[in-house]
Amino acid sequence: MKISSVKYLANQGVENIWKNKMMAFATFCVLLISLMLVGISALFYININSMIDGIGDKNEIAVFINKETSAERVSAIGDEIGALENVDKIEYVSKDQALDSMIATMPEYEVLFESLNGDNPLVDGYSITVNNLEEISDTVEQIKQIDDVYLVRASYDFVEFLTELRRIVTLIAVAIIIALAIVSMIMISNTTKASVFARREEIQIMKYVGATNGFIRTPFFVEGMVTGLFAGLGAFLVTWLGYRAVFQAIASQQGVMNVIGAGSIIPFGDIRIYVFICYVLAGSFIGALGSVISTRKHINV
Amino acid sequence: MVELKNVSVTYSSGVDALNNVSLKINDGDFAFVVGSSGAGKSTMIKLLLKEIDATSGVVTVNGYNLSKLKKRKIPEFRRTLGFVFQDFRLIPSMTVYENIAFVLRVIDAPIKYIRKRVPYVISLVGLQAKSSSYPDELSGGEKQRVAIARALVNDPQLIIADEPTGNIDPELSYEIVELLKGINDQGTTILMVTHEHDLVRHFGGRIINITDGEIVFDEVIVGTNDEVMGGVEV
Repeated sequence: MKISSVKYLANQGVENIWKNKMMAFATFCVLLISLMLVGISALFYININSMIDGIGDKNEIAVFINKETSAERVSAIGDEIGALENVDKIEYVSKDQALDSMIATMPEYEVLFESLNGDNPLVDGYSITVNNLEEISDTVEQIKQIDDVYLVRASYDFVEFLTELRRIVTLIAVAIIIALAIVSMIMISNTTKASVFARREEIQIMKYVGATNGFIRTPFFVEGMVTGLFAGLGAFLVTWLGYRAVFQAIASQQGVMNVIGAGSIIPFGDIRIYVFICYVLAGSFIGALGSVISTRKHINV
Repeated sequence: MVELKNVSVTYSSGVDALNNVSLKINDGDFAFVVGSSGAGKSTMIKLLLKEIDATSGVVTVNGYNLSKLKKRKIPEFRRTLGFVFQDFRLIPSMTVYENIAFVLRVIDAPIKYIRKRVPYVISLVGLQAKSSSYPDELSGGEKQRVAIARALVNDPQLIIADEPTGNIDPELSYEIVELLKGINDQGTTILMVTHEHDLVRHFGGRIINITDGEIVFDEVIVGTNDEVMGGVEV
């Protein structure tokens, strides 16, 4: 096919959108809604995941070191723990810091603390967060093996709860996304079918005058792709505005933010480019594919 | 050239649409194909367009043996034909010029040639003033002229016209056949399917009568003849 023919067919595809504007608009709307349904479900899912991660980050392992251990050994223990694969952050907590923190968080026991007369019964230790909560028990076991470690404390129940919560959320999210994707594909398929059906005679005429299948499909391909591209852009804009509004509404509720963790909801700016690419690519791809598949039935004349 | 050798077509429903038909139309001929509804005319056209395949026998059109023609070669074969439909089948979203130029686009003709050829064929059918009109803005006769120009534009060896006068006023029918006759005078083979007695009697020429899937009459008759072809009612 000559370059001039490719240009002509591409132009035809774009012109067809205007000439068949009602059907093109219907396809645009269906694609936009479908993309948004799936896109918003996916965004909801990644935010829930991020919140679970945020809650998980607050789950720390407390490591206590034997009282008589030298400062050098305490530091060496810190290095050993820090070298473990699953350890994300490690923070040294001296016995003085631990006492100060205890006094600050339990003011009702002030009398009790005063009775210590400057003695500190606590020990030096480390506060650790892990990369993977599911492997926390292994990490605890590894820390217990280190010499001079007196006690390791971690909340297994909470970890199990989070792991189970993530599993359920993933399951529900995947099911919803698959269901919506299927419904969307059916809607898109029917709309493009109706659009192509309305122009079946045009396709037949093309066949009778000796047009190849490629020649017939190219304008439909371009038409579907451009319609899909605009639907992707539209879905991106609506999602952006909607997401921002929801983000701001939640951010203004300090109580809610404290429960879910201030940094847990992903700001749109962080994912904007990915959302944009996904919407535009998915829109163009589905639009083009839908059109081409729908022409198949009418092309065999 | 069109040649059918012992061609039979039986549809999957069991209906015998054509029964051992043999026929030869030479280059430059003008032939009317007549017959009542369900006689097998449409089946014959479908065969000639390679829309369907013969159950048995050999169909040859413009040097292509259609029984052996591969699917990917069908577009190439159809480019040697011009086809005029009863219902015009113009693309409503295209102007007269675009409807005709479209055929040349399909065969990858150079732009310069398209710009020269399309106005020429539009002038042949006398529609210069309607070049920018859309099909909806034309009368039935004008639409059929556009369809004829479209069939003519790629200079085909054969034009098949399926009831080209079926959807237009009787007085305009004569004009359309005159137009086709004029094209035939330039050397293009024309095969025109019709059931209009008056037209056939008026123009005469080669008349092929199909009845119940068989050719019952195939002779040249001089125009304005009142005889009923071969004693068979058309």
